[in-house]
Amino acid sequence: MSDLDRAIEQLRACRLIPESQVRELCYKARELLIEEGNVVSVDAPVTICGDIHGQFHDLMELFRVGGDVPDTNYLFMGDFVDRGFYSLESFLLLLCLKVRYPDRITLIRGNHESRQITTVYGFYDECIRKYGSANVWRYCCEVFDYLALGAIVLGASSGLEPTTSYTNDTTQSTMPIDDGELETEVLNSQGEVTFSTYRPRQRSSSDTSTDSRAISPPRDISAPPGQATPSRTGAPGTGASGDGNGSAQTSRTGAVLCVHGGLSPLIDSVDKIRLIDRKQEVPHEGAMCDLLWSDPDEIEGWGLSPRGAGFLFGSDIVKQFNHLNGLSLVARAHQLVMEGYKEMFDGGIVTVWSAPNYCYRCGNVAAILELGEDASNGGTVARSNGEYGRSNGVVDANTVVSPGRRYRVFEAAAQDTRGMPAKKPVADYFL
Amino acid sequence: MAAPQIPNLNTFRRGRGRGRGTGHVENGPGHPTGKDRVVQGTDNDASVSRMSAVELRYLDDPYATALTPSGSVTRRFPIINRGTYVRTTAIDRLVTRFLSPYSPEAPIRKKQVISLGAGSDTRIFRLFSARQPPDIVYHELDFAVNTATKIQAIRSTPSLQRALGLDSSRDNVTVSEAGDALHSPSYHIHPVDLRSLSADSSLSETLPGVDRELPTLLISECCLIYLSPTEAAQVVSFFTEHVFGPSSEATAGEDTQQCSQAPLGLVLYEPIRPDDPFGRTMVSNLAARGIQLQTLHKYASLEAQRARLREHGLSSGQAAADIDFIWERWVSEEEKERVSSLEMLDEMEEWRLLARHYCIAWGWRDGNDVEAFEGWSTIQAQPGE
Repeated sequence: MSDLDRAIEQLRACRLIPESQVRELCYKARELLIEEGNVVSVDAPVTICGDIHGQFHDLMELFRVGGDVPDTNYLFMGDFVDRGFYSLESFLLLLCLKVRYPDRITLIRGNHESRQITTVYGFYDECIRKYGSANVWRYCCEVFDYLALGAIVLGASSGLEPTTSYTNDTTQSTMPIDDGELETEVLNSQGEVTFSTYRPRQRSSSDTSTDSRAISPPRDISAPPGQATPSRTGAPGTGASGDGNGSAQTSRTGAVLCVHGGLSPLIDSVDKIRLIDRKQEVPHEGAMCDLLWSDPDEIEGWGLSPRGAGFLFGSDIVKQFNHLNGLSLVARAHQLVMEGYKEMFDGGIVTVWSAPNYCYRCGNVAAILELGEDASNGGTVARSNGEYGRSNGVVDANTVVSPGRRYRVFEAAAQDTRGMPAKKPVADYFL
Repeated sequence: MAAPQIPNLNTFRRGRGRGRGTGHVENGPGHPTGKDRVVQGTDNDASVSRMSAVELRYLDDPYATALTPSGSVTRRFPIINRGTYVRTTAIDRLVTRFLSPYSPEAPIRKKQVISLGAGSDTRIFRLFSARQPPDIVYHELDFAVNTATKIQAIRSTPSLQRALGLDSSRDNVTVSEAGDALHSPSYHIHPVDLRSLSADSSLSETLPGVDRELPTLLISECCLIYLSPTEAAQVVSFFTEHVFGPSSEATAGEDTQQCSQAPLGLVLYEPIRPDDPFGRTMVSNLAARGIQLQTLHKYASLEAQRARLREHGLSSGQAAADIDFIWERWVSEEEKERVSSLEMLDEMEEWRLLARHYCIAWGWRDGNDVEAFEGWSTIQAQPGE
């Protein structure tokens, strides 16, 4: 067993590794991250996660619900540290997994991965308390500076393989398929389907927002939705390599942009993100700051953010950005949502929140988002529905179909059964 | 920057610290049970939060340091600091508007404030330092262990004495032998378990110095919530019906009774909305610390708080607003900008969640002076539940 595997084992047990090992880990991680672009390309299948905030036991619950690394391909959208009591254990474990399985886990930067914020919100204090000096905090902050700012998920499937319910799996799988393709599915932590929506395969609906879809070709009969490989059953290693080249053009679904916060008025294309010099502390303003701080809101255009950094942006901004960049979805984190996930703007953007009972106080559930792999593009045949749209003279990103989305919702880990230290976390109230 | 992640360590520390005070308690009124000690300890939470907000300049309070237990200085998270700020300034506003004459022409009439479970509250010092000689009579009621701590702080801190205008050489201050009661012409500290207040006992013995004739404001800043619903209602009724009830001479009809009564107002600051996911978590988290918010379910909404005020005969007006509303509507844009710039408050959603679970409710009856609460007429209330 390598030192790294031992460190992973130790951290999984919520025990810290020695300072010298942290230093080495952070050095290796930087060497790895420096090779990544500002926007990392990730192939589906992938499981997208939102804020963790040092809630280590809930991170373990996340892995239980979503599968372990490297079996599941993960993308974490930042805010690993601060607020919770185990920022160190959480972040160091994720970092170990990154160094051990670089192609199976992607970490991008959140606004809390910053020197300034971690001194206010707890990570700095935790480092001092647990290691007796600021050294480990400094090593970690140096890693923060190298984290990517975003990720592009390519090759996601437009439809989901329906999850067969444990209770009645004979009736479940056949029933609603005829009506259309399974577009979203919500599962509870027991793996039971609690909600699903279907995408009409062919329709001439009067719904203007989906008119453009109606002129896009129906799903190819050679790839019935039943054969799409759901991410849960995908063999370990799929999607890590292979079909990555140019799959944005060959996939029927548009790419998915993942960032921690949101869009920036200074960024009108994904390529502009690639031009940022990211290897620095998160600035107080500018494109890099906005990507980590902004929030979608029910407004038109851009608005001032009550957070004092970043901006608010409306549905028109998202629609335009997705259109111009051939995206079908922006996935982001950053905002607590009580149900764990929240789709906005006709499904153009989704907030994913992965810290259940945030700060041990908020009473919310958490979620992770699974995007399946488009089986139809797994072989050598590259269908090109995007080009079909263009040959019609409709250069409209709306012809890009959004990926099928499976949300796994989970609750806070039962702390008593997980060997929590006697010091139970206590949330502050106004008393 | 201390470690705000482990506030429970403070609880442990407090547990030990409190032991020192129990000597007073044995002789004082109300023998505290284990639960009472936990409730008494909540005052410590409040003073630590206040100190944090003062140090970061949310609040200007030169008296906070002297009334915060040494060694318990902890930097709170920004949302807690903002909550402390909103709660304090909102109650200040209600108190100030009550105390100030409604119009410059109006005659200045002496007024009275009775603060229930006042603990280490600094409002008295902030008020009195700006009003010398004081045109008000201020009463604080709390467990003997808390009043003794406060009196000790006053005795050992010249700046607190100066703020109060107390001059020991002039013999205008008396402190009880146990050190848990203080009486001066305009400031009284009463060591009393609120649950022991009863119409049977003589007012001059239980609460010496309380003037039945003055326009009076009762304040419960997160105090009555720890009592059982019956006890909480009894405490308020003790004041509304007994102390400031119909005077014994008034034997005529109800109208005459109304007119003979002194104006009386009540300001409540309490958690609300226990039945959503945040509220349920709050109830269970506090229960894990031994804190039971006993009346929370009875007065679970703004409407329930207004009805409560109405039922207590505060018939001239009842209003309520949650802390989120107060932050949005009472605080000026300029002041919001100042406060927002003190610390980066990243957790907007959490702030709204937390702030919607605390409210201020205020109600009053005009009694024999329709102008006494006129200053409250322009304070913006929150409609709905």
